[in-house]
This record gives sequence, C-alpha cells and structure tokens, in this order.
Amino acid sequence: MRSPVQLQHGSDATNGFHTLQPHDQTDGPIKRVCLTRGMHVPEHVAMHHTHDVGPDQCCSSVVQMIHAPPESVWALVRRFDNPKVYKNFIRQCRIVQGDGLHVGDLREVMVVSGLPAVSSTERLEILDEERHVISFSVVGGDHRLKNYRSVTTLHASDDEGTVVVESYIVDVPPGNTEEETLSFVDTIVRCNLQSLARSTNRQ
Amino acid sequence: MAEICYEVVTDACPSSVYESTPAHSRRRPRFQTVMHEDWEKNCKRSKQEALATRYSSIPRSSREDFSDQNVDVSSPRYGVSSVCGRRREMEDAVAIHPSFSSPKNSEFPQHYFGVYDGHGCSHVAARCRERLHKLVQEELSSDMEDEEEWKTTMERSFTRMDKEVVSWGDSVVTANCKCDLQTPACDSVGSTAVVSVITPDKIVVANCGDSRAVLCRNGKPVPLSTDHKPDRPDELDRIEGAGGRVIYWDCPRVLGVLAMSRAIGDNYLKPYVSCEPEVTITDRRDDDCLILASDGLWDVVSNETACSVARMCLRGGGRRQDNEDPAISDKACTEASVLLTKLALARNSSDNVSVVVIDLRR
Repeated sequence: MRSPVQLQHGSDATNGFHTLQPHDQTDGPIKRVCLTRGMHVPEHVAMHHTHDVGPDQCCSSVVQMIHAPPESVWALVRRFDNPKVYKNFIRQCRIVQGDGLHVGDLREVMVVSGLPAVSSTERLEILDEERHVISFSVVGGDHRLKNYRSVTTLHASDDEGTVVVESYIVDVPPGNTEEETLSFVDTIVRCNLQSLARSTNRQ
Repeated sequence: MAEICYEVVTDACPSSVYESTPAHSRRRPRFQTVMHEDWEKNCKRSKQEALATRYSSIPRSSREDFSDQNVDVSSPRYGVSSVCGRRREMEDAVAIHPSFSSPKNSEFPQHYFGVYDGHGCSHVAARCRERLHKLVQEELSSDMEDEEEWKTTMERSFTRMDKEVVSWGDSVVTANCKCDLQTPACDSVGSTAVVSVITPDKIVVANCGDSRAVLCRNGKPVPLSTDHKPDRPDELDRIEGAGGRVIYWDCPRVLGVLAMSRAIGDNYLKPYVSCEPEVTITDRRDDDCLILASDGLWDVVSNETACSVARMCLRGGGRRQDNEDPAISDKACTEASVLLTKLALARNSSDNVSVVVIDLRR
C-alpha cells in the first residue's frame, strides 16, 4: 500500500504568514514561511522547515509517512556520501571535499539522462544525528535551480512509524513561474520520498 | 569505446559523408569496428548468424522460383547501426526478429523491427528488446489481422510491456542492470518504443515516445509515426485533462521533468506519460525502404535527408535486380544505416544514435 504524500506550499501570502522588513532590504519584503503550519510536529521540526523567502524565490514541502521506525529510515537519509541508496535521478555521486560526515563537506552529483540537468555540486549544511535532521545546499553544477537549499527531518509518528518532511527553498528560474518551479521540484522530491519508503520497507 | 566514438565525431564533417575520397574510405574500417561492437550489444544474433540464416533459408537454386511470385517470401534485407555517440552511457536498444510470428519459409512471413531509446538508465529499453516482440507475437490472433486487430494487438502489447517493467522494478534488480544493486529507482526509468511489423502486403508501425519511423517511397519521405512531444496540441490537451501540466524548462517537459509525452515505464509520471502507442498501417507499394531511428538521428537529420541518403545507398532507388545477391542489398542497408549514424554525429547529435534501414524493394 502506498503511503500518503502531503504537499504544503508556501506561496500563498494571504495565509497569515508573517512579513518582515529588514533594514537593509530594498528590493521587496522577505516572508517568513512555516511549512509545517497546521501539522503537529516537534518544535525543532517546525523550526527547520521555516524559511525566509525573498522575492523571486519559492518554497515548498513534501511529507511522507513510512511504516518503519525512525532509526531505520535515518540509516538511509543520513548518507550524504551515498544519496543513491534512496534517491532517483542520480547516476553517480562522489565526495569532493571532506568525508561526507561534516558540515561544509561537498559532493558532486551526476544526473541520469532524460532530465533537464547534468550535474549538481552540493554542500552539507546540517547533519544532526540525534534529532535526525539533514540539510544540503546546491552551490554549483549544470542545472537551473539556483540557491536551492533542502532540509529533511524525521520524527516518530503516532503509530510507531516515521514522518519524513522534506522542504526546500529555491530561486524561481528566469522565464518560469513560481508555480511551475514548485511543480517541477515537488515531482522530484515526491518521487524520491516514495522511493525512500519502498527502500526502507524492503529492508 | 568513448574515445573511438569521440574520434569519429572529431574526424567527421558533413561534406565528407557524401564524398568517396580515399581518406573517407580509410576512416570507414574503424567506424565499422565500432558498429560491429555496438551491433552485437543490441542484436540477439550476430551479423554472420543473420547472413547464414538468410542463405540457408533460401537455397540459391530455388530463388528464381520465388522471385516469379508476387509475394516476397525471403527474409528481409536490413542494416543496423547503433552508437553511444557523445553520451557516456548507451541506453538505446535494437531488436530485429525476421519471421518472428510464423515458421520460416511461411507463405505469409511477418518481420519485427524495434528501436528503443532509454532514459534514466538502460534496463527498460533492454527489457523491451528482450520481451516486446514476444508480447506482440502472443497478442497476434492470426496472420491476417485487419486494421483494428493490429491496433488492438499493439496497444495490448505495449500495455503489457509497461506493466512488466513496473512489476519487474518492484522485485530485485538484476545484476545486468546498470543501476547499482542498492538502487530501487525503477519508477523513474523509461524508454521510447518504435516498432514495425512488415508483412508481404502491409507495414504496421506502433510508436510510443519520440523515436520515429519514416517510409521512403519514390525517394520521398512518408512519416509512419508522429513524435510524442508534450507540446503537441492533442498531447498537451490529454496531459492537462488528466490533471498534469507541461512546463517549458529548457524545452517542453511533462511536469518540467520529461521531454516526451509517452513512454514505456516512467511510472512516477503516470498517467500523464502514457504507454499507449499510436498505430499506423500502410499498404505496401513500390517502396524503397523503411527507416526506424531514435531521436539522436531525427533531432539533427530531416526526414528528406535521411531518405536521400538511404535511397542513394540502395543503388539510387532503382528496382532491385532479379538476381541480386541478398548480401548486396543487405550491405547497402548497413551502409545506409552507418552513413546516417555518422551524419548525425557529424552534426553534433548529443545523444545515442540507433538506425535500422529495411529494404522494401520487391
């Protein structure tokens, strides 16, 4: 049985989100968007999925329920050095700086054929083994997703399973709309989380 | 392999494709070597095996008797060329099965040709190469199917093929697959499929994706398939009607991801990316040849140019001589497919290129 996948978009400014106006910001407001709003999640999860969204940026989250304990899921999610264990669309990945276990480490990902991307250089931003949080940002490569940053959290669900939340923030590429960008990235993230659910259940 | 392919690209230029200079001739053997290696990877039978089968099935002394009849009961003449090109992986596959649905020397032979262009990985295309012709054979209800029956046969075969690659993905990935054993990523792998069944009186084409079948008739191209691009108006309507969307990312893509609107596999994009083939059935006439190829060719070579090259190789499109040695037109088809592949590489095709040329002259 396929686990339910929920989507929460952060593009609706009329939804009661707070708006901040920093002193040094001159080209528009920054919106603080909490992507787990309305969900019952631990406080640290809500914090990690709160993004400050600038003009020409968008953010979104995908939620995946997995019928396995968090430790089993985390064993796959934490592999910054080997995202292929559950992610699709990756042909090859190698660590190009550090060992993949520390903030600041870099990996170079080569993308499979058929997709509108060739490669992605990614920096490890968070690896919290206790609270099960991993985050990376995209700092280079051949693709159109500039200033992409992703955060994935795991926490226990009420029925002894795991709730996976992956949220991201990214620039809207020139020539595309916010809605198009969210549609594209959500498709990729959703496919990966469904693959994660299958991978975990297969073990 | 990559070095050889790259060397070919470096050496080739459009004008040299048509010249018969000594330099050109000297390059041919190396290219042939590449062809041979790739050909073996993509065809179940080796070239020699194919030739042996052809000779053994038609004793020389009885050929004149066969040629007296209107029905051509000999094996088809064809050539195959399939190269990695500039891409690092080979994800194309070719399947050729003469007399696939009937005993050899049957009075009504049906010959199967298929080109499959994989994306995401090679295993869906490889699976199509191994299985799709068998599914077509199973779905055939008789040797004399009418138009509606052919459409049903092809639609059911493609649907079964799609279900096979999906359910196969749910089991353990075999060692033959290029994916690492740890990767369960079969939901996001797919392939085009352009298939042709040639009977004595008809050409049946079933297409799913953006590979293509083009008939050369009196030197003019007649498309027997239409590319499934997401921005084709009827495809766009179908996708949006199903709740999907086509996003122009670097080109029109389903959900911004896939640049074709139909494919075998790609389960994560269902129902927007459909596996239903479009089927055409064409009566045979005084035809030159049929060309099946992946978009690595068609993206850089027009239908008109492909027909001109093929016709030139088939001795200027003249009627096949009564006593022409089968090996001669077979070689001409191979030369046509090699020339077309080389032309695509010379024009900087950035993809795998697979070409099948089938001699239809009676």
